[in-house]
Amino acid sequence: MRYLNLPLVEINKLLKEKKIKPIDLVNEAYENIEKHKEYNAYITLNKEDAIRQAKELENKEVDNLFFGIPIAVKDNIVTKGLRTTAASHILDNFIPPYDATVVEKIKERNMIIIGKTNMDEFAMGSSSRTSYFGPPKNPWNKNKISGGTSGGSATTIALRDVPIALGSDTGGSIRQPSAYTGIVGLKPTYGRVSRYGLIAYASSFDQIGAMTRNVYENALLLNTIVGHDDKDLTSSKKENEDFTRLIGESVKGKKIAIPKFFVSEIVSKDILDNIKQVVKILEENGVIVDYIDMKYVENTVTLYQIIAMAEASSNLARYDGIRYGYSYEKPNNIDDLYVKTRANGFGEEVKKRIMVGSYLLSGENAKTYYNKALSIRDDIRKEFKRVLNDYDWIMGPTTATTAYDLDDPMDDPSKSFLDDVLVMPANMTGLPGINVPIGFGKDNMPIGLHIMGDSFEEAKLYQIASFIEKELKLDLNPWKGEENE
Amino acid sequence: MSNYIPTIGVEVHLELKTKTKIFSPSENGYGKMANSLTNEIDLGYPGTLPTLNEEVINIGIKAATILNCKIRKVMHFDRKNYFYPDNPKNYQITQDRTPIGYDGYVEIEVNGEKKKIEIKEMHIEEDTCKSAHRGNKTLLDFNRAGVPLLEIVTKPCISSSEEAKLYLEKLRELLTYGDISDCKIEEGSMRAEPNVSLRKKEEDPFGTKVEIKNIGSISNVVAGIEKEIERQTKLYDQGQEIVPQTRRYDDKIQNTVLMRVKETGNDYRYFPEPDIPFVVLTDEMIEEAVKEIPMLPDERRRIYQELGVSKLNANKLVQNRPLSDYFNELLGEKINHQTASNLLLGDISAYLNRNEKDIKETTLTKERFIELVNLIDNNTLTSKNLKEIIIPLLEEEKTIQEIMKDNNIENITDDTEIRKIIRKVIEENKDSVEDYKNGHERAIKFLMGQIMKETKGKANPKMTMDILQEELK
Repeated sequence: MRYLNLPLVEINKLLKEKKIKPIDLVNEAYENIEKHKEYNAYITLNKEDAIRQAKELENKEVDNLFFGIPIAVKDNIVTKGLRTTAASHILDNFIPPYDATVVEKIKERNMIIIGKTNMDEFAMGSSSRTSYFGPPKNPWNKNKISGGTSGGSATTIALRDVPIALGSDTGGSIRQPSAYTGIVGLKPTYGRVSRYGLIAYASSFDQIGAMTRNVYENALLLNTIVGHDDKDLTSSKKENEDFTRLIGESVKGKKIAIPKFFVSEIVSKDILDNIKQVVKILEENGVIVDYIDMKYVENTVTLYQIIAMAEASSNLARYDGIRYGYSYEKPNNIDDLYVKTRANGFGEEVKKRIMVGSYLLSGENAKTYYNKALSIRDDIRKEFKRVLNDYDWIMGPTTATTAYDLDDPMDDPSKSFLDDVLVMPANMTGLPGINVPIGFGKDNMPIGLHIMGDSFEEAKLYQIASFIEKELKLDLNPWKGEENE
Repeated sequence: MSNYIPTIGVEVHLELKTKTKIFSPSENGYGKMANSLTNEIDLGYPGTLPTLNEEVINIGIKAATILNCKIRKVMHFDRKNYFYPDNPKNYQITQDRTPIGYDGYVEIEVNGEKKKIEIKEMHIEEDTCKSAHRGNKTLLDFNRAGVPLLEIVTKPCISSSEEAKLYLEKLRELLTYGDISDCKIEEGSMRAEPNVSLRKKEEDPFGTKVEIKNIGSISNVVAGIEKEIERQTKLYDQGQEIVPQTRRYDDKIQNTVLMRVKETGNDYRYFPEPDIPFVVLTDEMIEEAVKEIPMLPDERRRIYQELGVSKLNANKLVQNRPLSDYFNELLGEKINHQTASNLLLGDISAYLNRNEKDIKETTLTKERFIELVNLIDNNTLTSKNLKEIIIPLLEEEKTIQEIMKDNNIENITDDTEIRKIIRKVIEENKDSVEDYKNGHERAIKFLMGQIMKETKGKANPKMTMDILQEELK
């Protein structure tokens, strides 16, 4: 019997009735992962500790829905005593002395961390191919990317190794791999989830979110990780709420805006057809869908690159070989230590972004680029607020194409532009965004729909996403075929 | 001394007296075991974020007010990016574009004339860690990393080492009194870095600036500036250029030494710290902070003198913060304040210094002190008596009357009894009385001595003298 395939509510019932024990779930998770080793979803497994924890839980009362549930955590979220690398050589021996706030929260609920998932190095990339540990592979086709940067979390959820995972999203890093692998991923409003313990890439964009098999469980997991954190000054003081509360409520009379750019020729026909299908269903159910013109949507990637790389160049300065992580063994002097540690420790993409970021902040450039980008960022926020005053949601495809081949060139700027352009506005504005699977392309690869809502209206995102999910009734388990093999 | 006009600016770094560090909950302490006051934030671990110690903002407001600065109501922090082993994140969180205070001044008195030393700006930032070099190794102590600092920058408006000295002394006095910092140069909680340039005429543009760092005392600031003026004068006289540079003052050779030549365009790549939202200071916050500022030295000196305290005593009191605070409790009391100041600065100070005690650690309550001042003022207690009982006065809980009794001090203040004794002495010393009447002033001292002998020193001297003179008429 494969318990981990069941809905969380049913697993919880079995645990409560003592028909199964947490250790059964943990063992099953590791069997799954072992079987799917070639997908390379994990950088570090937490097997010994997970088993110990599962056994300890046997004497405890099953006091919440997530009790004893195996969870995968992206490897840029620090876990006390468990290696955390951010998929970089420079941290490949780093054992954090503390837990991220989200990790404290999932531990309070007695979730069991199964392992740390693969990702792009320091969350820089869009296909998880910049990982020092090699890329994860797409569960629907091993020759394709899983997307990035939370590619490992997306892969392990799509494979149904574990039911829930944490990812992080700086420029689409939860939503894009979710779309490529056919799972549900939500980037919360900036400030909704504490960033304390999330290894910073671009501080003003980074946000942790849930990656799950379906919308309902995504809302449930988000319930457990949100909340103000005194350790993160950018975390919001919003009261906690039940994000599932609007699921099932009618969407009749609601209004959706689709920026014309999001359904322009940059998007593949397969995907456009699927979007049209969804629009048709929505309109049949009384939802008003308008195609609108929006300013700035084409410019967000450029602006993002300026702000994110500038922040990254500073955030990654701390990896110097002095206090933790990889350190060049035989430096001649302190400068030699800096140069060789960072030259050997960082991968190409990371070095490229640090250099570009440093350049952008250098001398007068800060004014020409960085400060200007910040001020346009404010204008973009206003533009999205303006549209969200009239509409409940802003919608479009999550990606322009389905997952591409693992051996496609990595340095194609137009491709990396398309990788980001549809999901980036949520990071630029801090607004929440969700990916919900809506079908498959001719290549049999999943297609995702991206929905954005107003600040702190995650519950409303789950409402519309869940409605679409129920209408479409997709079979999103790539495992089925595998079991028949 | 020289044909050039020196222009001097001073940058001062002060460690603030907060309980915890500026961006982390670690204790802010001095002299503890190396790296015992640190956490993952101070060490710049991956994933950590700064918090903001509101106490620092509060102190910043107070300091800005004390230094007559305008206060920036909407401010943010910036990252200053540079690689150095003592800089754990390899960026320092500071305030580049929005310093909390700007356009202030400190008033000093130079040769009897008042001068305002203008303050360009003061900003809040974090301290780096401390490095110690042992052979070819460098040890790092992160206890200091993240200690809140206030950097105060003057305009280039100081024209001599004397002015720089007076400015620093005034600054230290003001900020110690404002509870901003303990301003201990020797412990590094106050660091002064002057910069010096020379030019021929007032109309000329400023000359090339040279900074002097690592100065361990105010007197060395003076020495450093003078040596630098000397050095630059010599170079200019020889027709040489001054290279922009940073020098340090070496106490052993009593001269400045080159540390590094300034690289052109030192690029710190400043940008607003994204981990700390903008800080908005409300009028209420500012008002609350300003209310906490204790009475400052100049005002103390003025009030003391208005109450009849001599200028000398007023200055001495202000130089001793605990005594001055003690004295401030007495400002509204109807006592002889000059007597009170003499008492505090005399026997009481001597006792406190001897025993390395604070006046608050003694048994001398405000009420007892007032009683004591009055007893001295009406001559019930002589200064000789006071010396005898100073220890019990400051160490025992007994009343002054009890202490006097314990020490056999029972001064006769009943004038009929004294008059009786005086008449007896006059009767027995007719010769001396005659001498006195013939103009031998010294004879009265002999008579006083006899009276004191008769009363075993218990007669109130002033009263005795008055009656004696009356009887001798």
